[in-house]
Amino acid sequence: MSERIIEFRDALREAMSQEMHRDPRVFLLGEEVAEYDGAYKVSRGMLEEFGPRRVIDTPISESGFAGMAIGAAMLGLRPIVEFMSWSFSLVAADPILNNAPKMLYMSGGQFGCPIVIRGNDGAGGQLGSTHSWCVEGMFSNVPGLKMAIPAFPDDAKGMLATAIRDDDPVFFLESERLLAMKGHVPEGDHYVPFGKAVVRRPGTDVTLFSFGRPVHFCLDAAEELAKEGISCEVIDGRTIRPLDIDTIVESVRKTNACVVVDQSWSFGSPGSEVAAQVHAHCFDDLDNHVMRVHSADVPSPYAANLEQAFLPNARRIAEAVRSALYVA
Amino acid sequence: MSITLTMPRLSDTMEQGTIIRWNVKEGQEVVSGTIVADIETDKATMEMQAYDDGIVAKILVGEGTQVPVGTPIAMIAEEGEDPASIAPSGGEQVDSAAAPAPSAAPAPTPASAAPAPSAAPAPSIPSGGRMKVSPVARRLAEEHAIDLAALSGSGPGGRIIKRDVLSAVETAGENVAGATGDVLPVEIPTTQRIPSQTLVSTTTPIVQHVPALESTEVAVSGMRQTIARRLVESTSTIPHYQVKMRFSMDALMDIRKSLNEKLATEGVKLSVNDFIVRACALSMAEHPMFNASWAGDRILIHGRVNVGVAISLPEERGGGLVVASIRDAHLKSLRMISAETKHLATKARDKGLSTEEMSDSTFTISNLGMFGVDDFTAIINPPNSAILACGAAIEQPVVRDHQLAVGWEMSATLSLDHRVIDGAMAARYLLTLKAMIEEPMRLLA
Repeated sequence: MSERIIEFRDALREAMSQEMHRDPRVFLLGEEVAEYDGAYKVSRGMLEEFGPRRVIDTPISESGFAGMAIGAAMLGLRPIVEFMSWSFSLVAADPILNNAPKMLYMSGGQFGCPIVIRGNDGAGGQLGSTHSWCVEGMFSNVPGLKMAIPAFPDDAKGMLATAIRDDDPVFFLESERLLAMKGHVPEGDHYVPFGKAVVRRPGTDVTLFSFGRPVHFCLDAAEELAKEGISCEVIDGRTIRPLDIDTIVESVRKTNACVVVDQSWSFGSPGSEVAAQVHAHCFDDLDNHVMRVHSADVPSPYAANLEQAFLPNARRIAEAVRSALYVA
Repeated sequence: MSITLTMPRLSDTMEQGTIIRWNVKEGQEVVSGTIVADIETDKATMEMQAYDDGIVAKILVGEGTQVPVGTPIAMIAEEGEDPASIAPSGGEQVDSAAAPAPSAAPAPTPASAAPAPSAAPAPSIPSGGRMKVSPVARRLAEEHAIDLAALSGSGPGGRIIKRDVLSAVETAGENVAGATGDVLPVEIPTTQRIPSQTLVSTTTPIVQHVPALESTEVAVSGMRQTIARRLVESTSTIPHYQVKMRFSMDALMDIRKSLNEKLATEGVKLSVNDFIVRACALSMAEHPMFNASWAGDRILIHGRVNVGVAISLPEERGGGLVVASIRDAHLKSLRMISAETKHLATKARDKGLSTEEMSDSTFTISNLGMFGVDDFTAIINPPNSAILACGAAIEQPVVRDHQLAVGWEMSATLSLDHRVIDGAMAARYLLTLKAMIEEPMRLLA
């Protein structure tokens, strides 16, 4: 296979485009997705390709268009909702949390909700406290939804294609900071199954588990720690609902140490859930309690230097690893 | 009526004890004399006997837990009693949380803040509580039959962690690769990498040319705590001073050689120290203040001479030292002193001494001669008033009758309690000692 190198954002578009060609029920809606090619140019060229009936510019009214899309999904269409930022999903909390994930259950199986909701999540770079939300902590708490958080361009395509074909509501979290990242992405059909974590870097001394953008912080930390003779196994969870606990457990049984890295706040987060599950499955394998590195427990700062310090950066990850291995 | 076993007071200074091992289980029958537990006191690990017959109904204090003297540690059901019906009376079940918390307060769990990885994880159990072992260290110890109680933990608060067990496995000479399957991928110790970051801050890797050093913490044993407490008490309350004298050892070395040759068939092998013990003991008749204790408003002069002999313990048993008492040393012959010292030293190093074997010394001798030390000073072992620190008998140039000659010499230094003994008294004692050592026939009678 040739090494076809494209950007993360183009990988997302390829997935949507290919699925819309394959399935006429799939359509895209959101603020500026059509005429403007998307606020972050993810849907570039899609208006020309599919026309205004399937690539729809909406008013600035998240609750309205998210609710409309959920209704469309209940009646058999397969909408893709783009939120310019997941920060803006908070005004649509009722439809996306109170309706979509519970519809199949509450209707006794009469209505499903095969919707994909996607957009930027996490610190985008000096966007301040209200526009830098990591929603995975709050939203992954809700049963009935799936949550996918890709970290690499090939996963962006493969996981979004899988999300569109999935019969349940999928919350698809992208990072503005990764949209320009380039990497090899397979042409044609490419599906990445949900609930399958991947080892990004094999190692023997400690298991570093993360998902989304912090996977890259982990890889940076692992590179730095390798110089000190510490071998990190970095696992990219890819989806946190469903969570591939088996891959984590297998690794921790080998390393006896685990650091979980999650850019949401620590209290009631995917990171705390993973730590609890590792403690439950690997109690007799652990040489230290599972350590967690999260964003600091404050609203996202605006200042660039504070934002860097706030994030679960490579320096803080390396400190946690040394601490977990009793070498700090 | 059920019988409550309490933490016994096994030495004069014992305030707390740690259950090292239970030798009985709940439901097991015991008779008077059964060794029910091994207990670590501030001085030694000692056996605890049952004084009654019955069935162990309830074990109240777990292994590794330290409790004050008098705390109920087990219940025994007497004949005809149902062990299941026995509830602990008086004392609550004691676990680590109820153990007396020393000054170290348990760290509060951060309520909402992200854990700060830079801060060392605080121990969740107060030090002095039960033995702390990481789960994987416990599992590995089980798989390799390593006795956790014999290890000292290098983790926070003395927690025994994976590398402690793995290095014990290595020391034990066990082939790790031959053990159970799932240990195989475990990378053996981190000794190569730890020093490079704990000892230097530069990121340039330093090539190791010497055995690796490690920054670790070592848990303080009961014995080490006692040594620390008593010696600080000694140096801070006793006005110490030292007086040193050199002894010609030619005659003593001759007589020792000839005695050892003649008595070899009887298994007698006298050491230089045996002569010194006897000489010190015999000198007390003339110098009773050297066999005395300061008692605030009085000086207690003792009517018998019990010479304490400092014995160092091997590293593999945790190191430290004990002072064995040679009782009534002034009444004992050289061969009796020799046999008793050997017996006590061997027992101290193998099993530990009983409290009785260590108590009531009236004067102490510390001898580093066997290590080749020329001379040194020692700290008084309270309530003694003096301690003699002996160096090695060394063959060297000496002046005899205005001529340079080769002879054996030994230096010995007295440390003294100035409240009891003045400098001139110390000099006179050393002269008496010198006369005995330089004319050792006097020690034979």
